[in-house]
Amino acid sequence: MICQIDTNNGIPIYEQICRQVKFAIANGSLVVGEHVPSVREMATSAAVNVNTVARSYRDLQAQGVLVSIRGTGLAVAMDAPEKCRSERLEMIRERLRYILREAIQNGVSSDEIHSLVHSEWAELQREPPP
Amino acid sequence: MEPVIRLSSVSKRFGRVKALDNVSLNIQPGTVCAVLGSNGAGKSTAIRLLLGFESADKGDIEVLGMNPKTHALEIRSRVGYVSDSPPLYDWMTVDEIGWFAAGFYPTGYQAEYEKLTKRFDLHPSQKIKGLSKGTRAKVALSLAMAHRPQLLIMDEPTSGLDPLVRREFLESMIDVAAEGRSVLLSSHQVGEVERVADDVIVLMNGKVIAHERLEDLKQSVTEVVLTMPSLTAMPPRLPGEVLAHVPVGHEHIWLMRNLDGGALTDLCRSQELPPPIIRKPSLEDILLTLLRQNRNQQAAEQEMLSTGQYDVPSLRP
Repeated sequence: MICQIDTNNGIPIYEQICRQVKFAIANGSLVVGEHVPSVREMATSAAVNVNTVARSYRDLQAQGVLVSIRGTGLAVAMDAPEKCRSERLEMIRERLRYILREAIQNGVSSDEIHSLVHSEWAELQREPPP
Repeated sequence: MEPVIRLSSVSKRFGRVKALDNVSLNIQPGTVCAVLGSNGAGKSTAIRLLLGFESADKGDIEVLGMNPKTHALEIRSRVGYVSDSPPLYDWMTVDEIGWFAAGFYPTGYQAEYEKLTKRFDLHPSQKIKGLSKGTRAKVALSLAMAHRPQLLIMDEPTSGLDPLVRREFLESMIDVAAEGRSVLLSSHQVGEVERVADDVIVLMNGKVIAHERLEDLKQSVTEVVLTMPSLTAMPPRLPGEVLAHVPVGHEHIWLMRNLDGGALTDLCRSQELPPPIIRKPSLEDILLTLLRQNRNQQAAEQEMLSTGQYDVPSLRP
């Protein structure tokens, strides 16, 4: 599990970690029962503050996405994939709303947005997977 | 817990320049604390005072509970220090300088030094003289960390280094903090500070203009953009503390502290203005605004002092 942190996108770092863990669970790169990296490993590999990672993991635990396995660390909970998949849409909806608001404020029409979505979608389909 | 660094009402001047002006602050153990500020703000002076390289004109300083004036050696044996241009003996090799430094510390120093240099991919038999800036910096960091210091002080350690070396420095800082030890970092790399810091201190002209948890600072500051119907229309008074206000044509940009979002929406609706754009600024935006605003404030203070009346709101919560 690799976290890519961007300090310039306006999303708090702890939130970025939470999202990326959830996305990883939703798309199957983290499976039920699999351990997430320890707080320290995650902090070092993503080059972020240890307390920030600890906070993200606490939030994920409180949401029932991760469960603590005694003595070994945190692992993906049984019903986490389903939870994360439904939340994934919610997270994208939020970001979409933010972009649409910007579009409305700049006087972009609904038709323009729709055609933009279609062309960008088609463009990304052609790109090789990362 | 006892703070690792404590400054109370510390002042230091060089000739007519006030390098530090009545600075008080505490740094808690187990935290990464970043000092930000423009060149000449007093960052390096503060660090030099902590290590006992200079002594303060006024005020008290404690590092790990000791006074740097009387206990400079003890402090230096328990603190790691990396400067932006570390002085190293050019004619020694990477392992010789570790062996040499080991003489000043308890046993175990050399083994730890070898572990660190190995992690940083340094060749033990290479002469310091022939090393690049980045590799030199890694030697300096290994030397500063081999006695497992309780406090690691870094004065612009990554200036002029490539992204790979900078990342290795960040990882080392995170490792130190993860073990409950402390880091004091002075840096101009705001993006890096944003990643690793628990607390930030902003210095300007020798004064502390902000000292708080990075998370709280970022949480409480918002940017607001309002579009006014005409160039001459006066913008409304926003609900919250205004840090900065810049008019750009019809548009007005504010940096607000503790903005009341609900009240702002109501305000815009009642005055028939378009809905405001609200954004979370990066640490760099916040820092620039704080520095600019304080520069103006200090200029205003000077003016007010001459007319005999002044009342400047404090930025600190």
